[in-house]
Parts: sequence; structure tokens; C-alpha cells
Amino acid sequence: MSTKVRGEGPVDSRERTTVVNQGRAEAQWDIEEDRSVRAEISSPPGGGIIGKGLRKVEGASKAIGRAIYADDITRPGMLHGKILRSPHAHARIKGIDVSDALALEGVEAVITGADLPGKYGIIPWTHDETALAQEKVLFVGDEVAAVAAIDEDTANAALRLIKVEYEVLEAIYDPQEALANADNKINEFAKRGNITKRVALDFGDVDAALEASACVVEEDYFFCGNTHAPIEPHCTVAEFEPRSRNGQGQLTVWSSTQIPHYLHRELSRVLGLSPSRVRVIQPVLGGAFGGKSDPFSLEFCAAKLAMTTGRPVKFLFTREEVFYAHRGRHPMEMKFEVGCDNMGKIKGVRSQILIDGGAYASYGLVTAYYSGQLLTGPYHFPNYAFDSTRVYTNKPPCGPKRGHGSVQPRFAFEVALDEVATQLGIDPVEIRRLNYQGESTQTVNGQRITSNGFDMCLDSVEKASDWKKRHGKLPRGKGLGIVGSMYISGTNYPIYPNTMPQAAIQLQLDRSGKVTVFTGASDIGQGSDSVVAYIVCEELGCELEDVRVVAADTDLCPVDLGAYSSRVTFMIGNACIDAAKKLRKKIQEAVGEFWELPPKQVALAGGFALHIKDTGRSIPLREAFQLAESKFGTLGSVGSYNTPKLGGDYRGGTIGASPAYSFTAHVAEVDVDEETGIIEVNKIWVAHDCGRALNPVLVEGQMEGSAYMGFAEAFMEEHVFYEEGIPAGLHKGPSLLDYRIPTSEDTPELEALIVESFDPEGPYGAKEAGEGPLHPSIPAIANAVYDAVGIRLRRMPFSPSSVLRLLNEQEG
Amino acid sequence: MSKELPISLRVNGQLQRFFAPAHWTLLEVLRYRLNLTGSKQGCDKGDCGACTVLVKGKPVLSCLALIGQIAQDDVLTIEGLAQPTKLHPVQDAFDECGALQCGFCQSGMMMSAVALLEENKEPTVQEINEALGGNLCRCTGYTKIIEAVQVAAKTLKEEDVSGETL
Amino acid sequence: MLRLPVFEHHSPVGIDAALELLGEFSRRDEAVKVIAGGTDLVPNMKHEIETPQHVVSLKHLGLEGVEREGNEIVIGAMTSLESLLKDPLVEEFLPALRQAVREIAGPQLRVMGTIGGNVCLNTRCLYINQTYFWRSSLGFCIKKDGDVCHVVKGGKRCVAAASNDSALPLMLYGAQLVLRKLGQERIVALRDFYTKDGVNNREIEPDEILTQIRVPIPDQSVSCGFEKLRVRKAIDFPLLNAAVLIDRNADGMVERAEMVIGTLGPRPKLVSIKASQLGGVLDDDLITKLARKARSGNKPLTSIATDPQWRRDMIPVLIKRILKRF
Repeated sequence: MSTKVRGEGPVDSRERTTVVNQGRAEAQWDIEEDRSVRAEISSPPGGGIIGKGLRKVEGASKAIGRAIYADDITRPGMLHGKILRSPHAHARIKGIDVSDALALEGVEAVITGADLPGKYGIIPWTHDETALAQEKVLFVGDEVAAVAAIDEDTANAALRLIKVEYEVLEAIYDPQEALANADNKINEFAKRGNITKRVALDFGDVDAALEASACVVEEDYFFCGNTHAPIEPHCTVAEFEPRSRNGQGQLTVWSSTQIPHYLHRELSRVLGLSPSRVRVIQPVLGGAFGGKSDPFSLEFCAAKLAMTTGRPVKFLFTREEVFYAHRGRHPMEMKFEVGCDNMGKIKGVRSQILIDGGAYASYGLVTAYYSGQLLTGPYHFPNYAFDSTRVYTNKPPCGPKRGHGSVQPRFAFEVALDEVATQLGIDPVEIRRLNYQGESTQTVNGQRITSNGFDMCLDSVEKASDWKKRHGKLPRGKGLGIVGSMYISGTNYPIYPNTMPQAAIQLQLDRSGKVTVFTGASDIGQGSDSVVAYIVCEELGCELEDVRVVAADTDLCPVDLGAYSSRVTFMIGNACIDAAKKLRKKIQEAVGEFWELPPKQVALAGGFALHIKDTGRSIPLREAFQLAESKFGTLGSVGSYNTPKLGGDYRGGTIGASPAYSFTAHVAEVDVDEETGIIEVNKIWVAHDCGRALNPVLVEGQMEGSAYMGFAEAFMEEHVFYEEGIPAGLHKGPSLLDYRIPTSEDTPELEALIVESFDPEGPYGAKEAGEGPLHPSIPAIANAVYDAVGIRLRRMPFSPSSVLRLLNEQEG
Repeated sequence: MSKELPISLRVNGQLQRFFAPAHWTLLEVLRYRLNLTGSKQGCDKGDCGACTVLVKGKPVLSCLALIGQIAQDDVLTIEGLAQPTKLHPVQDAFDECGALQCGFCQSGMMMSAVALLEENKEPTVQEINEALGGNLCRCTGYTKIIEAVQVAAKTLKEEDVSGETL
Repeated sequence: MLRLPVFEHHSPVGIDAALELLGEFSRRDEAVKVIAGGTDLVPNMKHEIETPQHVVSLKHLGLEGVEREGNEIVIGAMTSLESLLKDPLVEEFLPALRQAVREIAGPQLRVMGTIGGNVCLNTRCLYINQTYFWRSSLGFCIKKDGDVCHVVKGGKRCVAAASNDSALPLMLYGAQLVLRKLGQERIVALRDFYTKDGVNNREIEPDEILTQIRVPIPDQSVSCGFEKLRVRKAIDFPLLNAAVLIDRNADGMVERAEMVIGTLGPRPKLVSIKASQLGGVLDDDLITKLARKARSGNKPLTSIATDPQWRRDMIPVLIKRILKRF
């Protein structure tokens, strides 16, 4: 197989291409003016921090191996827990005998479903799972019992001593079968047959629009399931401290979660403890990508066993167990109709999507909505309808993976749009430019679009890839493909209905010159701890080393809803600006009074308070803080963020309604080996409108990581289960050997092109960057393969054998 | 319980003598006996590289190394790379270039990078890709990691020229 | 973490001590495995496919190194794959071995893994290289703990796949293995070493140690090459691998051609072409003929998780790619 060499560009020039208000058509001058004005309005106050490629606040501790992840925690007297899992895909539990396990020396406790009967689930409307099976097991790997013992070996030995009597039931793996076979109910929670959720929404008159279209592409697409595979396996340590003789006490749970707040709620509910006596701490997290955004069995089992035994208990999943915990990308069978007029203007789009959900709902209700609601940008859809159904099957539960619910329909739609372009003889970039929805607009499904830099994204990748000279003109086997996409920066749907803030910050500063930021936000590697520190530095003028971030500890930090839906930078960033500005004002006032100047003439930057008109006049920030502390007493402030009222006025209209949308365009360049069917992706150009890059290095990291993950899904990653014969329902290869994620040698060159559109509501104009840039990778590769050899890839993953089959059909 | 083996291991320059069960791997000993938790466990069995440490200067997967197989060898882990008040050029470059997202794979990644730069002062991008091929990263798409290794190579070379010790 | 089952570990110093120890366990009828790099054995033990009572280390037997002895390259069985890659003798005389070793696993596994270990690699199958829980859920198979085959329905013989890369060129080079047990040494041609039994495809006793691989230095007229397909460029076993050797006379006429294909079953498949079918120079016709010959009669199985038909179609592609380099 061939080896690829990345471009050997300058290594430390820190050159990056940021497209701001460049190369625009004259007709759109008004938009450009808007953006210039907006850039000024939402400008940082001059701390000189925002926009710089600074280090992360926890970078050095990670670099020296001292960052503490969940499995690095050891507590005195700690026990080790293990979970017994079902070997059957669908079975009724007739009896469990744990006596031999309990009798084993070193075993402290064994629990079963009877000990943890409380139902839970991330979405309050779909509490359809329990930590340990009650009557039925629903997939191979479903949790049945848990053991706490003095060490892992003893706990493992105890698992083999637990006797479970099963009555094996007929299992259903295929979502079509699950629909057809309504009588064989997989999850008792389902109201109708095996359906978790069906969403059918119609906007405009799609029938008429398709009827009137000059070109309609109607095709079936399949997106295989895949999983997050963070390198850190799930791990939880729980500890219960009695506080009296009446059973009261305090539960502390350290867990590798990206949703400490929701975990806090669910632990309290399921264990019957007041939330004020439960503390959830998220240690440093070793990757998540949506895979740690549900409450998981190990968290409840660790807590319960800690309460049962009075000793701390640790659970660490094996890699195999991570695959069973799953919550990864849903497989989707999709039918799309895309109709355009003869110029290529989209007239109507319709989709019908069957979503394979696995055994539990997880975020499935939202998935069903997202599969339709998030497609109405960056192009103007005058008429649109979707009908999405998520069904239960006897497989590990699917959930939210980076680009939740919308990566799959984006693949289908963008390949279909490419087909329209081909049929009409329009350049694929041009058809996307033609349909660009513009800024300050509303989508057909009622979503408010504020800033929109998609046009600049298109320009950027078109130029960088030398598209005009190369698309359609490369020798056979080589090709370029383009795709655009849109994603949310959080939504105004807060999982459980409430009117409290979605994100909040508490700041404390004192005479030492140090500022402490208390944030509930979950840093999952994306850098949210650093983002709040940057904002504080920008507003208060302090140096990064003088900021401490205390994060994701429900006892210490204000509530934040968690790291999902790309909400963190947007929401916590705004909350942080809110809190920091309040303190900034006080410091300016105190220093102004001292200097007998209006507070507005006091600048805070680089560790000093300065007179903006007289550069000679300055005092160290520490002294400024002391002046403020003298004037106002103990210094602290809070800030919060909540979304404005958003969304269409219909049921589900708020799901997917975001205060700001990010936009992306990719161009992928491929080489297709027609002898083997192996596709080599040489390069992906990734242009992403993140509003404003608060730290371009972190933004690029998200763009590159996203593009990599999309590339990985396109070729290697598929959550496969045997569906014929005896071993049905078993994951094909629950290991990082068999479930292949790309190595450095496999990954194409990725070029991040940051586009800034300055969102009016984002923190300093910023929007999300962590999920949007994944979407276009897959269809861009498919479209590039069409350019290279003229075959349409409509099913994933793009295996060499499927490519060869299509090439053979093409010949025939 | 298996028979315990007498182990005499030099870890990060310090001699460690202890008894360990034969069925423990070097990774388990490092993490749970010596409390050197910088080396990570990601895959259980040699598929991810997060547990990479240097044994006699070469990168090995500590999750596959039986403790009995390593006994008496010199082991360097991520904790042994930095000076008390100064990062190793590889660590510094990873931090500087944004190669550390979640950071979980990076201890192993940096150890592989250190091993590469010991042998090859000016690796090409392809050589870097090959040397890091046994270390999976799920966050970065490897772009910033490769950049970091190049930056570290440059720093090491400069320090070499100026005679500064690491 | 996935834990290892309990065993006793022994680190004999010197080959005699090791052979004594192995002989002793053999007499006591206690299950023993020798360990070289451990990159195959340890995962298999974590999966409880191997459950030895004793593990005997080969680390201190002095079996490392590559030397030339007369017309032979002698490779110590404990020579790491990484040091083979850097060895000048291997580079000069056994280029196809170098090509194969270069593509084994990833950097750390090549540091740990040894040539002896790769030659003795256990067979692999989608249905066996899994955890105990996974295998129990599926139903145990012939190779370990059970009596059915999940690859060949109704099959009574294990068809797990030979997945070692180094064996292919070594077979073509005519490598011989030196195997020692207490008071006994035997030499076996690598070509005769592998059997059709996937449960144990190697003709080696538990109390025997592979000490050396002796490879005759090929004539200058010999060309030998290796190709491999895998999903990833590192951390992966072969989906398919192949090696080809041809010998040409002074006029460029092909006088000998042999091919060996791995991953099709427990034994790397050797395809020898009769001299009568050769003749002529290595032109496109002959390349096509050899490639077709390699494909015929081979049926890749589902023991490897990739479309078997595609793997079959790739056999001639790999053969052609090697031959085009000659």
C-alpha cells in the first residue's frame, strides 16, 4: 500500500489563513459592512489575549504526566468493582444466585437489579434504562450484576461465580424488522411497537416543489453505525461518608463524564439522596466526543456499592466494555429527494429516515429531531419535509456522537446535491454558492440564522484547493469533492425544562493578584478551562499564569449543563464575559478614583492597570486589585448565560434552535486505486466559520480533529454485529485492534482555514468549532471519488470491496 | 494469587526494589504500585500505545510487558522526562503547538517522539508518521502532533549546538 | 483493565537452564509456554486463549543477533524485529524479509517482538482473538474451550489463519529452523514447519525452543519480494500477504518461480511453478500467468473480517505488484 507524505511546510511560522471579509461579490457589500461593524462591536476590550495561539491552562500538567484522570485516583481502603454482563442479546432473567460470589474471600458486596431499581435516562421523557437489568437483558453486554472486592482479580473471579438463569428471547437486530415486528417488544418503555420516537414535519409544499423541479435526485443512502472510541475508558470512583448515626451522609463521585450536572441529578434520583448531599467531580477527561454524555451503569454501581460497603469503590471499564456502553453514531437508512430548478436553485427536499437506536433511548428523542431539523442550512430550502423514526433493536444503545444526528443526513443530502449539479452540468461549488442562504435570515423550519460565513468558507476552500483549475480536470483516479454544512452552538432546549441559566461562572480575586474562575463546564480536551481563563485575562488584564480554573465540581462550581451540542464556548464564554466585566468595572473604578481619572480611562492589560492616554502611568494589577478590595470589600462576581427565545412555533420547534450556527466547507482530494478499490485521501481543506477564533490554535485543533474523525468514519469505522446464525447481536470486534481508528500514517493532510463572521451574540463573536467541521468530510470524500472515477458512494463505510463492485458495475 | 517475583527496576533513574505478582504487567506496576500514573491504559492489550514507556531507551508497550520480563531493566516514563523546573523540549513543543487536547494518549505519544528524536535528529514528516504509527490519538488528527515533533527537533538541535544539556 | 490470569514466571539464564526447566515441566505434565517478546502471547493470555501454568522467559539465553556463517545468514530467534530492520546483512542479502518485517504491527511492537516470535505466531481468527466473555457469548470453538467452528459450518478442523509476515519470504529463501529440547537438537525446513491444524499450526513441542533461523544466502540471480494488504498502515495484522521468488539465468530467462500466500488458512500456502511452465523472460504475459496461478484454488475464509471475495481478487494484484518490481 502506498505511503503518503504530508506537505513539509514551515514548522513554526504559526502562519494561518484567516479569512475575514475577503473576496466578496459586490452584491453582498451590505453583508460585509455588517460584519466589519459587528467585529468592532463585539471586540475584546484590549487585554491582548483573544485571537492569540496561547497554551492551554492545563497543558503543562498533561505534558509531564501529572494531570489526574479518573483511573489515576486511589482512595484509602478502595475496593474494585466489576460488572457481570449478559451473554444474550435478548433474554428474560429467571433467577440470579450470587451466594457463591459473596462467599468468595475478598468479595465485599454483590448487587443486582433489585438493589438499583430506579429508572433513568438522559432525557426526562425517556427514562427507559436501569443500572442493572430488572427483568430482561436487551443486548449482549447489558449489565446484570456488580461486585465490589479487594482487587480486580477477586472481583473478576466473583463474576464467574454468579449464576444467572436466562430464558432466551427472540432478538431483533434489523431496524426494519423492529418496525415490522411490533409484538416482540424490545424495550417495555416504547409506547408503540419498538418505536422510540417518530418525528414527521412538513414545511412548505414539498410535493408541488418537487413536481415543479427541473431535476430531482431520489436515492437511498446508508450510514453505518460507529463509535467514539476515546482513548480513555470510562472510569468512576465513588465514596460515601457517613455524617451521623441515622444513615445520612455525603456521596462523592469522581467520574469520566462530560455531563457532571445531569449525572448529579440522576445519581440523586436513582439513589434517593438529596442532590445537596451528592457531589460529582469530573477529573481530567481523556476524550469523550459524546461518548460520556449519558449517565452510565458504572456510576450508579460504584455509588451504590460505596454506600453498601462504606468503602470507596472504583470501576474501570475494559475497552470491550466501552464498546458495549457505546452511545455512538446511529446507523441510518435514508431516502432523499432533492429537487432543483434548471439553474440549480433548491426547490424542495424530502427525507425519510429509519434510525437504528439499539436497546435504550439515550438521546434518541433528540436524534430523531436532529436528523431533520439541522439540515436547513447553509442552503436556502424553500420547501422541506422529513419523517424520521428511531427504533429499538437488541444492540448496544446508540447516542450522540460528535455532530449528533446530523452527520448522517448531511452525507446523504450532499451526495444528492452533487448528483443534481452533475445532472444540470453545474460546478459543485457553484451550486452551493447559488443556494447560500445568507445572513440574518430565518430557515424554513423557523430557525434564526444570525452570522453566516459559509460563502467565505466556500471561497476559502475553492481557492486553497485550486478547485477551478483542478476539479473535473485531473487524470482518472484523482478527484476533488466539495461539501458544505451547518451546526449548532448549543440549543435553547435544556434537556429538562427550566428557566435557570444554562451556563454560569463565579469569579474570585483578591489582594494576591490571583483570579480564580469557578466553572461548571466540562473540559473534555477541547479547552473550555482555557477559554474561560483567556476571557478573564482579556477582561481583567491579568496574565494566564495568575488565573486558576476550578471546573466541573458540583460542590464548588455553578451549574453548567455539560459538554454537548457544541454549547460550551458560546454559553460559558458569554457567562464569563458577563462575570468578568462586573469585576473589571470595579477595578477600573477603584484605580480611577486613586488616579482621579474617569474609570473609562483605566485600561487593564498585561498584568498592569494603565492610563489609556498616558502610557507612563501604571500600577501592577495586584495593586489595582488591592485598591478595589479596599474600596468594595471582598471581590467576587457571577455571570450567567441563557439563550433568547428561539425556534419555530410548533412541537419540537426548539430542538435544534441555536443562538448561533457555525458553517463549514471541505474540499477533499482523493486517489482511487482501481485495481484494489482502495481510496487514499491525500488532503482535506477545512474552512470553518467559528465566528471569531478566541484561540486559533485550539480552533484549528477542533477542525483538524473533526475532519480526521469524519475521514475515519468514512473508511474504517463500523459498529458491526453478527446478524446471521448463532452468534447474532455480538459486536464484531470490541477492541482497538479490530475496531480500527486511523493512525498517523493513515490520516490525510488536514489544512484548517479559519473563517470569522463575528456573531452578534457569541462571546466576542465566537461560535462553535468542535462538531461542525466533522460533517463535510464524509460526503466530500464521496464526491471526490465521483470526480476521480465516476462512481457514487451512497453506502458507508467506503470499503475497497464496495468500491471495486461499483467500478465493475460501471464497466458492465 | 500467583507467586511474587523479586523485582529490581530502575525507573526514571531511581532504583526500585519490590515484589510483584508475576501476572502483573509493567503498566500495572507503574500505575498501581509505584503510583506513576502518567502512563495510561487505553486498550488493555497493545492496540493503542497510550502506555508507551522507554525500556533501555526503546519504546515498548508497558501493558504487554510482563513485569518478570522487564525486571532489572532501565525504564523511563513520562514522569522522568522533565527537569524539576523545566519541561523537556518534546513536552514543551506538545504544549506550545496545541498537540495536547484531552492528553490521554500523549504520554505514550511523547515517549515515542523522544525515542525517535534520540535516533533521528531531523526526521521528515513521513519518518515522524511512521515513528508515531503505534500511538493512537483520537483528538488531534495528528496534525499538531507532527508539528510539535518538528518544533522539538529544532529545539533539541539548537540546544545541541549551544551545548545546553536537557 | 483486562487482567492476566495467574501463572508462574521463570527467567532462566542460559539455554541449558531453560531446557532443563522446560523438560521438568514437561515431565510433570504442567502447561508451559515460552515467552519471547510477548506481543502475541500476552494478548492471548489476556483473552484466556493461552492459559499456561508456567511462562519461561527466553530473554537471558543469548539468542539475539544476526551473523554470517559461510553461505548462511544465521538469525538468533530472539533478535527483535526492529534490530532486523537495521541489520546490514538482512538489508544486503534478504531484502524481502526486510520488506515483510517493516510492515509488521507498529514501532513498539517491533521493538518488543522477535523474529522467532513472528515465525511462531499463533494462528488468528475473528472468532478466537476475543475476550473470554465474548467467546462465551458466541459459544466456544475448536481452537479453545469448544468443539464447533464458526468459520466453516460443521467444520471439525480449525482454520484459523497464519498471520505472520516474516514466514513468507523466509519460506521462499529456504530458511531452516534450529529447534532444541533437552539433550536434542533438530533442524526443520520452515516449509515443513507449519501444519493444516489451526489449533496449533507449528511443529514445535512445548518443551522445545526455537534458537536460530538459518537462511542460505540467495544467488545474485534471485529476486524475492513481499506485499501485504491491511486496513491500517500500523497496528494491524495482514488481511492478505504474499511473497514471490524468481530466479533468472544470465539471459534473463526465468528458471524458477515460487510464491507463498498467507492468511488463507493455518499454513502459508506455497505455490511452486513447474519449470516446464516457465521459460522466457519476466514479461507481462508471464506476470499475468503467475498471478492467475496464485489465485486459482484459493478460497479466503471469513476468519478475517473482510469480504473473502475481495481478498481472493487481491491475490493476483499483490503477486503482480511484486513481480513488476523485479
